Amino acid sequence: MSELIQQIKEAVVLRKVKEIETLVRGAIDAGESLEDLMNDGLIAAMDVVGKQFGSGAIFVPEMLVSAMTMKKGLEVVKPLLSGQAASDRGLIIMATVKGDLHDIGKNIVSMMLEGAGFRVVDLGVDQTVETLVAKVVELKPQVVGLSALLTTTMPEMKKVLEALTEKGLRGSVKVMVGGAPVDERFAQQIGADGYAADAAQAVDMARALVAN
Amino acid sequence: MKTSSHNLVMSALLGGRKGERPPVANPTSIACHELMEACGAYFPQAHTDPQAMADLALAGHEILGFDAVMPEYSVHQESAALGCEVDWGDRDRMPDAKDAPHADFSDVIIPPDFLEKPSIRVVLDAISILRRQVGGRVAIFGKVMGPWTMAYHMAGTQNFLLSVGMGEEDQVKRMLDQLVPATIAHINAQFAAGADAVVLADHATGNLVGPYHYETLLLPLHQAITAQAGGPIILHVCGNCADRLNLFAQSGVDCYHFEWQVDSRQAVEAVAGRISLVGNINNPQTLLQGAPEDVYKQARYAIEAGVNLIAPECAIPLTTPLANLKAIVAAAREGY
Repeated sequence: MSELIQQIKEAVVLRKVKEIETLVRGAIDAGESLEDLMNDGLIAAMDVVGKQFGSGAIFVPEMLVSAMTMKKGLEVVKPLLSGQAASDRGLIIMATVKGDLHDIGKNIVSMMLEGAGFRVVDLGVDQTVETLVAKVVELKPQVVGLSALLTTTMPEMKKVLEALTEKGLRGSVKVMVGGAPVDERFAQQIGADGYAADAAQAVDMARALVAN
Repeated sequence: MKTSSHNLVMSALLGGRKGERPPVANPTSIACHELMEACGAYFPQAHTDPQAMADLALAGHEILGFDAVMPEYSVHQESAALGCEVDWGDRDRMPDAKDAPHADFSDVIIPPDFLEKPSIRVVLDAISILRRQVGGRVAIFGKVMGPWTMAYHMAGTQNFLLSVGMGEEDQVKRMLDQLVPATIAHINAQFAAGADAVVLADHATGNLVGPYHYETLLLPLHQAITAQAGGPIILHVCGNCADRLNLFAQSGVDCYHFEWQVDSRQAVEAVAGRISLVGNINNPQTLLQGAPEDVYKQARYAIEAGVNLIAPECAIPLTTPLANLKAIVAAAREGY
């Protein structure tokens, strides 16, 4: 890995949000390949950050800043990537379900999915079953990611899955779920395709779902 | 010791004599649809009307057999008094703030009539009603938000955590410092209204923020708050806080309300009698989706581990069956 790419990786891991754009522009001007910059710089950095979070070395405040740093770097690279098939791993719709206004976890997952090369349409919070189904019909994503922080809103996830089944859409879209009260058992009970306990796992899960 | 609900709770809370059985308490909301229907007090009136608020709290004792009553069901009483636009929800939905009036970290000024704002007054009046009805027989818990939780509401949760992550310590500390007087004033007003103990809910939640955040930014404030509180304080922090139990034990609180994610035996060992523990029946899997037998088993496990007061781990889902809440009481009534 070149020194410039290494610096970009470190900037994301160490949350140097003010330096990242200059570093990424510098690497591009120096002729670094965009694929290396993405894979060995930005994505590799978020893998490190994800592991740090999983081990309890860092928490959401640090994760948020790293994800924001990565996103700023990505925004410099993105316009140059158009037309490069390697940059598009698939389309994912993200949403927090109806009645739930919590979005930090979903936002981090969305940023990390983007960093990992997915196109992400983030519908936001408090999304009804009807809106989600309509968006699946309209955008034809490979994956839908649903988030809920409240035990009171978890049942909405099941309603989304039932509605997708009723509309005959379950064959064409995978659904992954997450959020503090959600677990593997609940995901299986409602018939979701995957559950992720944190953002790093969500990226791995999305990769696996798209590959299948 | 006379075996009354009040005495069992207060003795357990302060690490005193064990009565004939462990008490069952609710530092956070046990309001659910079946309880509302049983007593005729419903959301959203129970957030804004003192009599409905007190009636719903009292149902926890009279219908379920809990040894404490706690009349505050939302986390937004303070934020409403400090200028947030609060949607008080409906029968199926908890209240939520629609805005964050200090997203720019502008100075938060506690209004001189803070304790007279409707969202604060309603809780004080409900506590006084409960005092008149069951004072001295049933333990009356108040509840206030700590500066960390209020900062989420003032600045927006993600915005506040981002500032913490960016290391903007001066800005973060200034907002927290400005909110501390509101917490202290509310605690002492609840004691004056008739509370036996007050829950200090401050969501420096495990898995969300680290023990190092708690230690540097919040522990000194909790120590200042408890030093000025006019009665026993129960700290409520959600999530897996096994990594900061030792810090909580140094905060000056009398008791910590903990979640199922922290094993009861490990929690008892970690605090080593320095503070009492209340908890920790799992909400989403056991109380909401489990059977009474599952609840009973968890309650007995907590009792045998040495948890001082048995309770749901956090505010329960609104669709929790009453039978599952009664199973906590049944387990406690078998004694130690």
